[in-house]
Amino acid sequence: MRWLVLYLRSRRIPLAVAAAGGVAALMWSLWSLFSNSRDAGAPMVILTVLLLVAALTASLAGPDDALERTAALSWPPRRAAHLLAALAVVVLLLLVTLVTGARFGPAWLVIRDAAGLLGVTALGTATVGAARAWFVPLGWTMASLILPLMGMGSSEVLLWQSQAVDSKPAAITAAVLALGGLLAYAIAGPARRAPAEAAL
Amino acid sequence: MNRILRIELRRSAAIGTAVILLLVGAAVLYGLPDRWAAGWMPLAMMQREYLILLWPAALAAGGWQARREHRSNVAELFASTARPRAQRMIPTLAAMGIAVAGAYLAMAAAAVPYIIDTANYLSPATFAVVAVGALSLVAAAWLGLAIGRLLPSPVTAPALAVAGLGLLLVIPTAVLHREWLALIFSPMYAMGQYTDYQTVAGRVSSAQVIWLIALAVAAAVLLASGSWRSRVAALLPAVLGAGLAVLIIPHDENVANPVDPVAQELVCASGTPRVCISRIHAGLLPQFVPAAREALARMAKLPGAPTAVHEDTTTYYPATSPAPRPDTLLISVRVDKGGSLAHPQQITTDLVTRAFRGSNDCDKGSEAVSRAAAFWLLGTEPRTEPGVTEDPDPNPEAVKLWQGLRQLPEQQALARVSAVYSATKACKETDGLLTRSAR
Repeated sequence: MRWLVLYLRSRRIPLAVAAAGGVAALMWSLWSLFSNSRDAGAPMVILTVLLLVAALTASLAGPDDALERTAALSWPPRRAAHLLAALAVVVLLLLVTLVTGARFGPAWLVIRDAAGLLGVTALGTATVGAARAWFVPLGWTMASLILPLMGMGSSEVLLWQSQAVDSKPAAITAAVLALGGLLAYAIAGPARRAPAEAAL
Repeated sequence: MNRILRIELRRSAAIGTAVILLLVGAAVLYGLPDRWAAGWMPLAMMQREYLILLWPAALAAGGWQARREHRSNVAELFASTARPRAQRMIPTLAAMGIAVAGAYLAMAAAAVPYIIDTANYLSPATFAVVAVGALSLVAAAWLGLAIGRLLPSPVTAPALAVAGLGLLLVIPTAVLHREWLALIFSPMYAMGQYTDYQTVAGRVSSAQVIWLIALAVAAAVLLASGSWRSRVAALLPAVLGAGLAVLIIPHDENVANPVDPVAQELVCASGTPRVCISRIHAGLLPQFVPAAREALARMAKLPGAPTAVHEDTTTYYPATSPAPRPDTLLISVRVDKGGSLAHPQQITTDLVTRAFRGSNDCDKGSEAVSRAAAFWLLGTEPRTEPGVTEDPDPNPEAVKLWQGLRQLPEQQALARVSAVYSATKACKETDGLLTRSAR
């Protein structure tokens, strides 16, 4: 228990979860105020998932990863649990809205996009560090939402975030990214950073 | 100062931002080159439309850069120096501004080689359209810097990108049909092209420049200020700029999609018969003229044969169309994705078949008869244009009539075809004119 509290504090989890909750509340109120429909539009849901993932990304690295690595602890299962907990936070926050006046669903879309985007951001954390890990999920999701509007690209694999709920290729892409991110982050951990940036 | 700026360019997010914007911009431009291959103005406007991706990205880049001091844990150290905050911010503002504006111009430059051979009408308004695009990115990056400094959280930058995207998507509906309002505040509004002759009005560009400069100044003041009083003062330039822009922009209905009359004006090839094409397509004349002259030569045997070919410069929004002239064939000119004439081998056939189809407001005449007559002049068997389906298909009937014409002596067949042509021009029934002898 003591360890868990220290871990949560070192990863600034309370701050990250508060930011995620704030983002969810903001998007929820925006939809409640400005729309007559009860079900939030798919772009709104996808962007909310993206923002929640971005808010939790900051917690994927600690203040001193090099020091952490020296500890006689088995990190891979702990890192994997961290990612799965992040997925649970995103999904739970949006599932709660399903019983309110502005529903951010369907649940499968939220789960697919949250898992896939967390996978991408975990891959980013393992390669370029947590501070820069949101670049790719953000750019990819924006492209996935905008390019079909421009008449460019209809690939269900490449533009997986914005596909319909029943799209198999999109689900498979999200699953592959989620699994890849989980493995890469669990095994490799956050990328080593320059000492100047050690404190996020 | 120059030395500091050089260091800042190297050490800030400037280069990374510029590279990302340029790569994304060039990728979407070359993703669908047929949208801008027609000329310089289409290119400039398409580039502005792609601000839907670039503008939020520039906002996020500013937000990310603003967190640098926080990330490096030096905010307290810097606050203890005697240098005023405003002075310290200038190199950052300059570096980010140079980076995003440079990336936008480089994106335009990346598209130049693709159309430099075929595009030759460069109106001064094109430069204004590009300048507004670059300025909008500078304003976005600076606004991102200011907001990122006020809210130094890891979520600020991605949230800024999402907010920017949402803003650009929502503005067109939020203004409730006041198009001029959307034009001021959204740099990508109304940049889709209905025709190749489209342009952006000078007063619209001026209003946009005023608003964007005001926004950039407000963002810079916000970034440089240390107290809440001066932060509130940053509202002043923004409000002033918005007010001035609203005063300047024209409020009439067609403000969003004006047509450039100079681009639409006809330019004629030297020599006879006369073949003319709109100025924006003038680079296509060498491909267009032989096909058009061949069509005229094929029809020369007819009584009252047309003597000229003009581009059909009709636009629907706003509605403009060239005056119909009996001696002139009209044809619309399309540009393919390589910037050259679309379907060049179809031009001759199109011209002759259109001449036999009569004007749009005449509903008499039979498609099979006019097609058989046209293809007899062309000397080939009637065929349906690729990609066109008609119900019922007039082509088998046309082929039958055409075979009948071929079995007749040349003079007699020509007389019947001439009769069809005269009837079409007079808007009379053409049924049966190919099967019975001319009266």
